[in-house]
Amino acid sequence: MADAAGRLSVRPDRVGAGAPEAARRRRAGLSLAFKRGLAIAALFGGWELLTGGFGGVIRPAVNPALFPPPSLAIADLVAYARSGLLLTDMTITLGAAFAGLFLGTVGGLLLGLLLGYWRSVADVVEPILVAFNSLPRVALAPVLIIWLGLGISSKIFLSLFTVFFIVFFNTYLGVRSVDPDLVKAIKVMGGTRGQIARMVVMPSVFSWIFAALRTSVSFALTGAVVGEFVGSTAGLGYRMNIASGLLNTPRVFGILLLLMVIGVILVELAKRVELRLLRWRPPTLLQ
Amino acid sequence: MDIEIRGLGIRFRAGVEAARGIDLTVRSGEFVAVVGPSGCGKSTMLNAIACLLSPEEAEVTGEILADGKDVRSCAARDLNFGYVFQRDNLLPWRTIADNVQTGLEIRGVDAPSRRKRTAELLELAGLTGFEHYYPHQVSGGMRQRTSLIRTLAYDPDVILMDEPFGALDAQTRMILQGELLRIWERTHKTILFVTHDLAEAIILAQRVVLFSKRPGFVRQVYESDLPYPRDPFELRGSPRFGELETTIWQTLRDDFRSDPTA
Repeated sequence: MADAAGRLSVRPDRVGAGAPEAARRRRAGLSLAFKRGLAIAALFGGWELLTGGFGGVIRPAVNPALFPPPSLAIADLVAYARSGLLLTDMTITLGAAFAGLFLGTVGGLLLGLLLGYWRSVADVVEPILVAFNSLPRVALAPVLIIWLGLGISSKIFLSLFTVFFIVFFNTYLGVRSVDPDLVKAIKVMGGTRGQIARMVVMPSVFSWIFAALRTSVSFALTGAVVGEFVGSTAGLGYRMNIASGLLNTPRVFGILLLLMVIGVILVELAKRVELRLLRWRPPTLLQ
Repeated sequence: MDIEIRGLGIRFRAGVEAARGIDLTVRSGEFVAVVGPSGCGKSTMLNAIACLLSPEEAEVTGEILADGKDVRSCAARDLNFGYVFQRDNLLPWRTIADNVQTGLEIRGVDAPSRRKRTAELLELAGLTGFEHYYPHQVSGGMRQRTSLIRTLAYDPDVILMDEPFGALDAQTRMILQGELLRIWERTHKTILFVTHDLAEAIILAQRVVLFSKRPGFVRQVYESDLPYPRDPFELRGSPRFGELETTIWQTLRDDFRSDPTA
């Protein structure tokens, strides 16, 4: 491990997997991706088959009017897209979700930092914040619609509230759980309060926030869609609610599929951002 | 820089009295080691010197003078102390190179000078090639080396060391002791080194200060007159090392024997 000069040589187990190991993992990865693809294909195939699809080769197990085959749902989605409405609705829903995500993150971060540093106030108001956090946030939707109307602002706020509490609590805990030994190390070097905040507190807080990013993203989307259910004039949630009232099940399922795809993409993006920004963490903490 | 400690007493607010009447002088350029039974207040003394004990945490009485000025009235930056802890305390989100230049960044040194100084130190510690690794990606020995050169980087007047090699395996530990000796022999930094390992104290320091059990005070001071340059691997077998160890151990053992909590 150490050579004559007393220097440590590279330990392969720490620095990176050897080439054969990487190749083995790649092969395993390929076959896993293939198996996963098969499982998804089987799910859709089974669904199509049991709901009277494939030209009705077998008798539908459920009423296709209530549970349409995926081919119908996707065909409707295509028609919906061609009409141009889909793009408008998606822009509105995603716009509300992202605006809520951004504002909720900024707000949660600011209040979290404030209370994280200001212990005496934090100890007093903590039960109130815990109570708000325990409230199912989407239950605020009717109130927000009364206050802010049917437009996009009520959806942004619903999204904002759901994200706000996640970010707030993570920031607050992040500030409180800063490693005091790291603070000491910087202090001895002559670090000012500001330098300690920049070098120790903020990175520590961001690691908590980024670790919660996946949850924040999916909560932001939930907030926007639920807000549209309760009262709106446009958006994916609104369109779905209308279709539901008209028993237009292919449209309902089409939008459900679309929301699922959007959710998967957003959460995957959030995961990549998290892995990239928290690459300094030992891998065990990320999995 | 001279460090003079006069009648230092430390009592934690929680009730424990860590030190009572410590008198100790470390001359500029001297390498002094402090040994004593665990919990004897030797680490707490370092924290007091580095101004890391808040008034809410502990009551500190007596005087700690750095070149005649009371440390508690000076800001950490004016004191220019270095502190190497038992835990490496590297910032986990900074690469090895960025950790090394932290102190220079705090002092507002410009980026090109920082990079130059960092490269020299990484070379000195045999860490070239590991600049862009994060602390969790390298071994404990490499992390502790990084911690040591991070302290050397800003050229502190005094280096306080609190069992810096305590968490390392025996072999790595001796290698790092050797490196510390080479650095001290070249730079003659003032070093106050706390350890529970008597052999380590004798091998490294010019003077070995023996603390009593808690509340700690200076029980005895021994000269470790082994000639420099020293080699930790060879010294352990030398007769003079054996004599010193036996002598100091006698006193240390009496303290262990009379300690019912040990």
